[in-house]
Amino acid sequence: MSRLLFLLLLLTCSAGAQTWPDEQWPVHKLTPSPALKDLETYAFPPRDEQERKGVRTDALLIIRDGELVYERYAGVTTAQTPHLTWSISKSILATVLGVAFGEGRFKLADPVASFYAPFNAHPDIRVQDLLHWASGLDWQEDYEYAPLDSSVVAMLYTRGRTDMARFTAEHPVASAPGTSYRYSSGDSTVLAAALRGMVGEAAYADYPWTALFDPLGIKSAVWETDATGTFVGSSYAYMTARDLARIGLLMERRGQWQDRQLLPTQWVDFNLTPFKSQTPTSEAPGGHWWLNKTADGPGPWPDAPPDTFAGLGHWGQALYVIPSAGLVIVRYADDRDGTYDHDQLLKLTLKAVAGEGVK
Amino acid sequence: MTAQKSFIRRRPLSSLGILILLVLLALIWTWRVQLQAFPTIISAYTAKEYCSCRYVMNNPVDYCQSYVKQWLPSTLTEGLSEKRITATGMGRESSAQWQGLRQGCRLVSPAS
Repeated sequence: MSRLLFLLLLLTCSAGAQTWPDEQWPVHKLTPSPALKDLETYAFPPRDEQERKGVRTDALLIIRDGELVYERYAGVTTAQTPHLTWSISKSILATVLGVAFGEGRFKLADPVASFYAPFNAHPDIRVQDLLHWASGLDWQEDYEYAPLDSSVVAMLYTRGRTDMARFTAEHPVASAPGTSYRYSSGDSTVLAAALRGMVGEAAYADYPWTALFDPLGIKSAVWETDATGTFVGSSYAYMTARDLARIGLLMERRGQWQDRQLLPTQWVDFNLTPFKSQTPTSEAPGGHWWLNKTADGPGPWPDAPPDTFAGLGHWGQALYVIPSAGLVIVRYADDRDGTYDHDQLLKLTLKAVAGEGVK
Repeated sequence: MTAQKSFIRRRPLSSLGILILLVLLALIWTWRVQLQAFPTIISAYTAKEYCSCRYVMNNPVDYCQSYVKQWLPSTLTEGLSEKRITATGMGRESSAQWQGLRQGCRLVSPAS
């Protein structure tokens, strides 16, 4: 009994020792070191504004154990800029859905059609299939190289723009739901539309704020919608780097925010479990997050620990979380070519913070 | 059958031309929806992303102009008072309108 009490006390103490941001992040800057210099040399080379070639970082922010240890901005981006996150929006949407899941608004195996009527055409697609990007819908996700055939370009800018979820629902089926991973902004957009059915019309427009942004102290968030008011869950969430790091810290701490379990741990476990796809893929999708492990082995970033996960977006946007190192890294960018390498940034960041001794 | 054969023999090049034309027409028919929508991409992308660059991310005019620059020419008109952006490109026109602090920008009708 006394041993149990001691254990409880120890747990309480360690929980109490955790650092959390209030209005601002607590700051504890890394001391300059050669490793930090290497990171900066990689992330902030002379910026090519003419040809837009190479690595073009807009913001780099590192949180270690809940403290801001590094922050730098470039170009026109500042600490106050609500930067476009592009497809990190998908992982932010998943986090909003996690709160709804904790409120008992839906179950992972529920058919999407229960919350979004146009999916009556696809009665077998479950919420978890959309979260795995495995709806099986015949979707073409290519921004720049197949403009004529690109579903995502049509969704955002032309045929789909007034009602993006319905545009997705009208796609034919390519494979059985839940079997094959096929990255799709359409799947994410349908999740954003299904959220309306889960929480109700009255609560929907403010739900990302009431459920997630307000409890986390995120003040800079903007989330654009289509003409029907559905959030563009795939692409159009904006916030400052400091605010995005709050979502990273929430995920690093398995859904806990200060004294509140905002996301059920069961939800975070689902997010971070590799999806076993029947079609081969070089990526490692989990439940609307990108992992560094697959069902069968290692993930795509050899220089980062296997528990690393990330929200990733077009043109180099990234929110990396490495729970085993107590790290959250936000990187905003305007990379117009494929020069930037996730593994390289993770490797250099880990080296730069390792020089600081024990955590 | 023999008449058709002889036509192909007499006019091999014309036959080939007709065949190519038929294939092309079939392709255009198959892709008619995509082809019809395609030219709007440039103006819609320019209007929407420029609007968000200016009024959501609060970046300067010069930066946003280069931010949305594509390999195809386009023009931009900024209605400062109502935060409305109109862009043209490939013969089409699109507009984006700032909606509010939380909603940012969105493409608006008239859709072209």
